[in-house]
Amino acid sequence: MEASVLYNVPHDIPWKVFIPLYFYFTGLSAGSFILSTLSTVFGIKRFKPMALPAAIISFLLLLLAPACLIVDLQQPTRFWHTLVPEYFNPTSALSYGSWLLTLYPIANLIYIYFIYVKNDRVTKIIGTMTVPLAIFVHAYTGFAFALVRARAWWHSALMPGFFLTSALLSGIALLVLVAMIMDRLRSEKLELDLYKSLRIMMIGILLTDLFWTGSFWLTLLVSNSDGHASILLALHETFYLWGEIFAGMLIPLAILVYPRTGNNKIWLSFASVLIICGVFLMRYSVVFIGFDIPLS
Amino acid sequence: MSETETKHSTSIRDTSLNVQKVDLKPKRWGMIVDQRRCIGCHSCTVACKSENNVPLGYWRSWVKGIQKGDFPKAGNMFLRRLCNQCDSPPCVQVCPVQATVRRPEDGVVIMYYGKCIGCGMCIAACPYDARFFNPIRNTADKCDFCASRIDNGLEPACVEACVSKALIFGDVDDPNSEIFDILATVPTSVIKPELGTKPKVFYIQADHSLKGRIQFSEDFKEAIIDYRKSIPSPDATYWETRDQK
Repeated sequence: MEASVLYNVPHDIPWKVFIPLYFYFTGLSAGSFILSTLSTVFGIKRFKPMALPAAIISFLLLLLAPACLIVDLQQPTRFWHTLVPEYFNPTSALSYGSWLLTLYPIANLIYIYFIYVKNDRVTKIIGTMTVPLAIFVHAYTGFAFALVRARAWWHSALMPGFFLTSALLSGIALLVLVAMIMDRLRSEKLELDLYKSLRIMMIGILLTDLFWTGSFWLTLLVSNSDGHASILLALHETFYLWGEIFAGMLIPLAILVYPRTGNNKIWLSFASVLIICGVFLMRYSVVFIGFDIPLS
Repeated sequence: MSETETKHSTSIRDTSLNVQKVDLKPKRWGMIVDQRRCIGCHSCTVACKSENNVPLGYWRSWVKGIQKGDFPKAGNMFLRRLCNQCDSPPCVQVCPVQATVRRPEDGVVIMYYGKCIGCGMCIAACPYDARFFNPIRNTADKCDFCASRIDNGLEPACVEACVSKALIFGDVDDPNSEIFDILATVPTSVIKPELGTKPKVFYIQADHSLKGRIQFSEDFKEAIIDYRKSIPSPDATYWETRDQK
């Protein structure tokens, strides 16, 4: 039977655009850090020239990310409460996250120092210890959503994985742009093999992201009424369907897969820009489509 | 003389025993909302606002109203909404600084306003949309069964204000309480039991369309936008725009 709401009290969305921006910056940071460790820890020599710039970008983004979080607080001067051991909440992803966000930039800075002084042995040790930190820093943001059972759009075991892969994707795309700029500025050119392997990595991760997205759609379509409503609502959103999925995933994938455009530097950087914007839209849609379903 | 002395000492022992008893058996405060008796007068909403000094445009507890059917076969129904005081509260689970806790001695979920950093995670995680940012305190805020009143032996303000005795408050575990009696003999339901939050606010004869689940229909987008627009109760933005004028 049809029922219409006469009156009700909806509460405001507690978050502003700083929250998706924060996820985006930590994602970019973790992604570029992992790319930096490819040569220093995993010993893939081809990525050697990228190690230092990637690590520096990762550190700079890490200064921006917590700033976004603190700006979004209603009581910004109390941010240090999250680091008081007595207040630590073992069931809260945010509690772990605030510690990770404190430890990771410090480890990152030490790592940058040892790359800078070209001490390969110590760099490898520090890098090996920092890689799990980088992964956890980003995975925890996925858990912050996955552990909210109230909202069907967030409550999914795929969330941490999706966040990690898209973090890596945005990190690689940013590094492609940085490599282009380095090529322009420096006298010694980067080898073309580097671009090729970055391109293949981007294709692989884009396909993984599309797989995650498809899994989300299918499971939500046959989920409970909240889940079903959120996927139908998401497919109506222009920024989700046309922005994130079409412009942020399918078009870059087509550009990268097609050899003539994939090997062209201008097309490659265009695809990277699209990917970087698409990953931001992914963060944005995860956060705000979750709030579209009224709960009261 | 000696008799009175022994009497005196036993009475002291008795009180100490009572205190121990209270310590051993924690209370579990709960509430029954009897929809058969509710007349939709909003006294509870007003009493809550004045008792807890809730800023204009924000509500700790409110009454949701729906209309079903078409005239002449139509009905108005009300759902008294407040924090469900879950036994397994999602808000306590996500709080990064333990600013909101479930009190072990009586099961009420309360806020420590001085600890709260205002991250909004609890507001996002509450399945009942019972939490909000208090614009004056700049922290999260919620219904706490009027904790300061129940600690001093009073009933919550809404229960005292209810004109038709539709709200029954008491210890869910105490076999001598009225609420225990009703829970045992009358069919009751809670909101969103499938989430496993174990709410302690029970409803008698609450219609399923009142309980906040989205109705299935093919045009979801329009339905949800209409839902938001069709709510005439003044929300926070109403007061903001009014002040600007």
